[in-house]
Parts: sequence; structure tokens; C-alpha cells
Amino acid sequence: MSQKDAPKLHNADLTCWNCPAIDLAGKVDFRACGQSTEAFRKELSDDSDIQIMAECKRRPELGLFDPTGITYEQCPEWVSTPYGYMLKDMRVMILGIDGYLGWTLALWLGSLGCKVSGIDNYNRRDQVMERGAHTIVPIAKMTERLHAAKELLGIDINFRRIDIADRARLREFIEEAKPEAIVHYAEIPSAPYSMIDAEHAIEVQRNNTLGTLGLLFMMRDTVPETSLLKLGTMGEYGAPLTGRPLFEGMFPADAVLHWDNREWSMGGELTPRNPVSFYHVSKVQDTYNVYEACKYWWLRSFDVMQGVIYGVHTPQVADDPRLRTRLDIDEWFGTVVNRFVAQAVVGIPLTIYGAGEQKRGFIALEDAMECITRLICSPPEPGQYAVVNQMSGYYSVRKLAEIVAKVGREHFGLPVKIQRLENPRVEAEKHPFEPIYKKLPDEFGFEPKVPPEEEIYRMFELLMRPEISERIEQKKHLILPKTWWSGEKRRVETIEALTEETLKERLRSDEYQFAEHPEREKILKSH
Amino acid sequence: MRSKQSRIVIIGLDGMPHGLIKDLAENGTMPNMKALIEEGAFRQMASSIPEISSVAWSSIITGKNPGEHGIYGFTDLMPGTYSRFFPNFNSLKASPFWAREGSGRSVIINVPATYPAREMNGVLISGFVALNLQKATYPSSLVPELERMGYRLDVDSQKAHKSIDLFLKDLDETLQARLSAYRYLWDKEDWQTFMLVFTGTDRLAHFLWEAYEDESHKYHSAFLDHLQQIDKVIGEIASRIDDSDSMILLSDHGFERLEQDVYVNFLLKQKGFIKLQGNSRNLKDIDQETRAFALDPARIYINMEGKYPHGGVSPEQRESVIAELNEIFADLQIDGKSVIKHIYRKEELFQGPFVEQAPDLVLVANKGFNLKANIKAKQPYGKDLFTGKHSQPDAFLLVKGGEAREDVPDNPRVSDVVGIMNQLAKGG
Repeated sequence: MSQKDAPKLHNADLTCWNCPAIDLAGKVDFRACGQSTEAFRKELSDDSDIQIMAECKRRPELGLFDPTGITYEQCPEWVSTPYGYMLKDMRVMILGIDGYLGWTLALWLGSLGCKVSGIDNYNRRDQVMERGAHTIVPIAKMTERLHAAKELLGIDINFRRIDIADRARLREFIEEAKPEAIVHYAEIPSAPYSMIDAEHAIEVQRNNTLGTLGLLFMMRDTVPETSLLKLGTMGEYGAPLTGRPLFEGMFPADAVLHWDNREWSMGGELTPRNPVSFYHVSKVQDTYNVYEACKYWWLRSFDVMQGVIYGVHTPQVADDPRLRTRLDIDEWFGTVVNRFVAQAVVGIPLTIYGAGEQKRGFIALEDAMECITRLICSPPEPGQYAVVNQMSGYYSVRKLAEIVAKVGREHFGLPVKIQRLENPRVEAEKHPFEPIYKKLPDEFGFEPKVPPEEEIYRMFELLMRPEISERIEQKKHLILPKTWWSGEKRRVETIEALTEETLKERLRSDEYQFAEHPEREKILKSH
Repeated sequence: MRSKQSRIVIIGLDGMPHGLIKDLAENGTMPNMKALIEEGAFRQMASSIPEISSVAWSSIITGKNPGEHGIYGFTDLMPGTYSRFFPNFNSLKASPFWAREGSGRSVIINVPATYPAREMNGVLISGFVALNLQKATYPSSLVPELERMGYRLDVDSQKAHKSIDLFLKDLDETLQARLSAYRYLWDKEDWQTFMLVFTGTDRLAHFLWEAYEDESHKYHSAFLDHLQQIDKVIGEIASRIDDSDSMILLSDHGFERLEQDVYVNFLLKQKGFIKLQGNSRNLKDIDQETRAFALDPARIYINMEGKYPHGGVSPEQRESVIAELNEIFADLQIDGKSVIKHIYRKEELFQGPFVEQAPDLVLVANKGFNLKANIKAKQPYGKDLFTGKHSQPDAFLLVKGGEAREDVPDNPRVSDVVGIMNQLAKGG
């Protein structure tokens, strides 16, 4: 099929106005024969008297031109990929490139032909070690990783060991690498870690909030046209007991507030945030800082409200043990599904906090990589602060435990048990939950490809390898929570152990038919 | 050491009409100009068609018509598309006088349409449209010095929309910085040709023409002050050159009171020549049914098949489309006044290797009517903040030196200036 006959890619009609290779040079008022560099508004380019002028950093031969005239489909610098048109050899910088997501994304983008650069200060390695834990999937040192990426996948990664707080060095690196997109994963991603004590709470907020704030100033001064993909979290919204839907950052155009016999349109206003730990507070503070920077300096950003991430698989990290990304299962850095599978592998009951009816959005690693790639391909407009809720479905924690139990039992013959523990967190254990996550599918062409069972299956496959199950054994005592939001210092107690019989009964019910994924049968058969 | 060869100084006053210069010289506002007029050859000069700075200055510095230098307006279409670009120095297809053999070393300051600066024998600081000082300066080693003196490439025109006082302050600061640059380079460089253009004059006239015409206007004296300052500089420069040196003072187009804006694309839409896709109000969404469309100020293009992506007019239909357009615009009247003075066909105006991209028709308006393309207009005509508009027939030219009165034609055009310079150089 020729490109002309292929279905139109989701970002085909975007223009240089959205392109990070643009240099918004200024505007010109033709009637007064005058030029100006005052703030830009897109509407101006439609006015016949005042027009925005841009220069293309990639095609300087175009001179000064109207940035709304050339579409991605028409521009030879934008080439077709499975995720939309993407800039040829697009320069992407990943902050936190040594982490679970950062390393995975580096290989993913590298294999798409991006010129990947990145920084890391090895915070994650240090913090996991500080807690006495380790990644259960062994990972190589950075130098070996870079070497393996080059040798096995032909990917050159321009890496510097830099702390995001070291603004002078990071700025120098940005000026050198000239990224067209910056993916910001350089935050400490743990609620329990931020709740250990004052030192940990302060460190999380310092690193996350001040690191991001410094980055925004740097972008203003060096690469204002570059799009920022900042990792937020669905947890910023909390779980409001009103049952109000969790919109994508802002109220939709038709939302209305009624009060006192009056009404107001809420469209476009940031929705309330309801963070549930000091870590989540740092993410909310980031939201406001990024929002303001877009407003003041015409930066452009996606705030990516990611659901709970899980999984081990992308084609690149699965290619060779030296390319694997980390997998943490300790109470601080292990996300819930990753923890459950590890527990199942070493035969300890999966642990649910409280009632287990807490509902969360989830996304598998590979789907998350695809989402970020699609967003990199479709930068927001200058000045636009855009938010997406990045998740492929939502489940109660109890149900997820039961899915893990089902896959472990049916495909790997593991007698999986589940137990309910006291909840060390301060959160509603039963609450309404209606996340809205339409933008990625509707505007960016994303369709979840990885059903939970499939990724959980792959996780069992990997984690049951003796060298890895051995590493789980070594650290299994660090899975059960000890960090109480209240500050108490004691172990959590078991409230209820679910019996084999109860579980079997539940797993037979209709709830466990994952009808939403059309490829489900095929995928399971292939295993 | 200065070379002994005679030199040429060119001073440009963007947008200053012959009549205004004559009046201000005679009434004592511009005494230095008066002295030069008495000594030299002072003429009314025809601007380019269209009478747009980038077109006119490109003709002034190359001696060519747009068919040879390729600049037809501030905007043009990328070939084979309806996407607009802003032609700049890289789009200029003919070489400026300073790049020609034997031209010697030149200092060129603020000539419109010379951005981005490129390598030459001498120094160049680009004029409007020029957005980045680094790219506007050759050699770039000059940039720190320009920054030190607070050099500004142009007045920020948006200031006038906020406050005229703010605009006047910016205008003055820009002029002072430009003068610092001229004085610095005059002394530092060993030049054969020195060209300095003042563009604030054009901005001033756009916003405050009314203040010039009305002596009781709040900003009348501010208008005259600016020109008095420039007159002083003209006197300063005249006193610094030798008798064997020549001086050329000129403008690129004239100015007159703006009575009415007239929106050409609105009229073309109204008469069914323009059809846009869906509800678009943007020229880039032109539909196949479109027969003709305009770019600023009044360049009309026939939407020829094969030339444009949605071109629907066949070569056989072209003449009948032109005939229809002629009829419409020849008959156009507002309040009983005829709007269009002349409708030019491309072959009347443009000759040379780049006529393919030329507009098919160019409209020139009668006095007071300001033609604009404006696809978004909601009515055929209107009026806003601006009180002055460009005029085509009455730029000015003043030449002192050599056998000026013989060398300068009685009715010069902007494309004659290079020839006059050559004559002066020979005479010297």
C-alpha cells in the first residue's frame, strides 16, 4: 500500500506551528511595515495584516515563512512511523534515562531512529540500595548498557551523569544536544518513600519540584520550542468521594458549576487535585509550575498522568539480558502488579491493603512507551499546557490480585494465595472512580495492545527463571509495607486470608472475561 | 588611511514623499536638506509596483525590476503551494551593487530586505524584516559592539497599538542607536560606499500622517522633531565628505493620507472568484473552484491548473478571467469615487527570468484608497488606527556630486538608482 492510500495518520494535519524544529522568529505587521517580537498568538497568522514569521531550524532554505502553511504530511522532515509522523532522526532527551521507564524508552526511541540523549544521577539505584532492596531483574552498569545498546541494537545514546539539580551542567548539555523533545522521568516516583520521615519527604519534594522548576527556566532560555513530556500521575487527582469524573487535567468545555441559583462554565479550568502523599503533592506542585511556565513563556508541555505502570516487556529490553530494564518489588519502589507477580513466584500470598476495593488506572510498560512516542510525535502548540490520562484500563486492586492469581494458577501451576492487610495509607478503601482517558485514543490514535493477562504472563515467564526468583527470595521480606502514613512504627497485620475455595469461586465468574481486547484469544493461545 | 578615490554616500528615508521633503525644506524644518536641494538634482521618483519597501529597496540596490530580482512583496507563495513565506535577502536573485566587481568596500546599514546578512566586502547590518541581530550582522564580530551601543534592528510596531508615547520613545531610541552605529562604522571602516537607511520615518508616517497634516494635532511637533533630527544627521554627514564625494538621498515610496482600506480578497470572494474549503477563512484552503486570489497589497494571481495544487483555470480560460477582473475593478467605486487608478498586467511591469512567479495583475489605487488583500475581512472596506499609506508615484531622489543635474533623468524610477551611481563613479 502506498503512503497516499494508507489511512491518514493522526498528526498528518499538524503544521510547523506545532513543530519543535521551528524558530518562532517574530511577527510582522505588514500595514505598518513593522516587526515585533511580542508574544505570539496563532490567530495572528490568519490575519492578513499581522503575520507570525517562523524559521525552520532543519530547513533554513525556507527563510521566513508562515508557520501554519506546511503540514507534517507535506514536510519531508516528518516521516511516517507506526505512531504517526515523526521528525527524521528526532532528537529526544530523556531525563532519568537509567530508570525503569527511562531506559526502556531510550531503546524504544533509538530503535525508531531517534537521536537519544539522556541524563541520570543514579538516584534510583542509590535509593533502592539505601532501603536494602535490589532490582529483581538484574541490570547492567550504565557503561555496559550503552555498549550493549550500540552492539546489539545499533543505538548510540548520548549519556551524561548529571543531577537535574545541577543546572549549569544540564543547561550545557541541552545546548549541546538541542533536543526537540524532552521526556522528564527524573523524579522520585514513590509515595511510601516520601512518607518514611521528614528527610525522605523533603528529598522527594526537593528533587521533584525544584528539579522541574529549574528545568522550566532552562528550557525558556535554551530550547523554548522543544516539547516537554512531563510525567505526572493519575494519583494527582486522588479519588474524590463525590464521584466526579477524573477529567484529563482540565474541565471539558461543557462542564458547568451550579451554585446559589447561578452557573458558570468551567471549561478549560484545571480540575481540583487531591494528592494522597507528599510524593503526590510534589507532582501537583509540578503541574502548577509547568502550567504557569507555558503561560508566561510560551513553552509547550504534555503533563502525562500515568496510571500505575507494570510489566517487563518491550521488544528491545527483551532482546538480551544486558538490555533489561530494572524491576523493583520492594514496598517503596515496587508498583502493585510487579509486586503481586513476584509474591506469586516465591509462594507468598499477594497482599492487598484494606478492602482492596481501591480502583486505579493501569498501563503496561509497552503501551506506555507507545503513548509517549505518540505524544512526542504530536507536540502541543506554543504556550499550550496539555494533559493526557495515560492508562489502558482500570481495575480494583483486589481484582488485579485475582488476575495475577488466575494466570499463575492456570498457566504456571502456582498455588497463589491472597491476603488482606491493614492499610498503612490514609485513603478511601471504597470509592467511586470514573477516569476519563479518551485523548490518547481519540486524538493520538492509541489503542491498548497489551491486555493485563498477557503482560502478567510475560512477567511470570521472566520472574520464574531461577536466577531471578532467587533474587526475589533474597528480598521478599521487603515487600510487606512498614511505612505508615500516620508515622507509626510497626508491621501491618493480616486482616483476612482468602482461601483457595473462595478464590476459585471468584475466578470462575464473568468478571474475569477480558472481552475488551479483541486479540485476547489469539494471544493466550500463542502462549 | 582613507583611499583617495571619490566615495558615494547614500541616505535613505523610508517612505518620505517628494512633496513632504520639499515642504519641510522650504519651511525651515529641514535646512540641511534645503541646502542639498539647492546644490543638487532633486526629483520626484516613481516607486516600484507594488509600492512596498521590500520590492522598492530590492530594485534600488540591484537596479532591476522584480522579474529580475524575484521580490514581489513582503509575502509570496512557496512554489506549487498556497503556503506563504516571507521573501528575504536569500530570495533576492540579482546581486546588490556592493557585491559587484569593482564596487570597493561598502558599509550598508538598515537597508530593508537584506536579512540575513551574508559575506561581502565590507559591513552589513540588515534592515526590516530582520529579527535576530546575530544573523543580521556581517561580520558577526561586530555584534558585541552593536549590543554595547544598544543597537535595535527596528521599532517594535506593536508598541504603537498600545500607546503612541511608548512608540515615539522606541522610535527615538532606535534612531539614536542607529546613529551610534553609523558614527562608529564611518570612522572605523575604510569604505568606498556608505549607505544608511532610516526606516522610522515610514513607521511614523503610518501611525501619525494625520498628525503631520494637522498642525494642531497632539503629535504634530513629535512628527517634525523626528525629521529635524534626521536633517541634522544629513547636515553632519554632508559636512564630513569631500567635494569630490557624491551624496544620494532618496526614499523607496511616498506617503499620503489614508482615507479608506479596501479589501481585495473580500471583493474577489463576493464576486465568486474565491471559494475556500468548508468554513475556512484562510487562503491556504483554496478550493478548485477559485479562479483568482490576492496577496498583499493588491497582487492578483489566477489560480492556474498545473501551477497550484487546486488550480482550476485552464490556459484557454485565463484571458476571460482577466477580462472579468478588469471589468470589476475598473468599475469599483466607493461613495462615488473610483477606487482603482490602474490595473497592470504582469507583462507590462515585469521582465526577466523570474516572471513565472509574478502576479498576473497588480492594482494601483487612486489617492487615499489603501488596498489590502485581507481574506478575513467582513466588509469590502474599512478604516482603523493607521492614518497614512504608501503612495507609488512620489518617492524622492536627490543627487549631489559629479554632473548630477545631467546624470539624473527627469522622471527617475527606483530601478534607475544603480545606473546613477555608476555614472557618479565614472564622473568621479
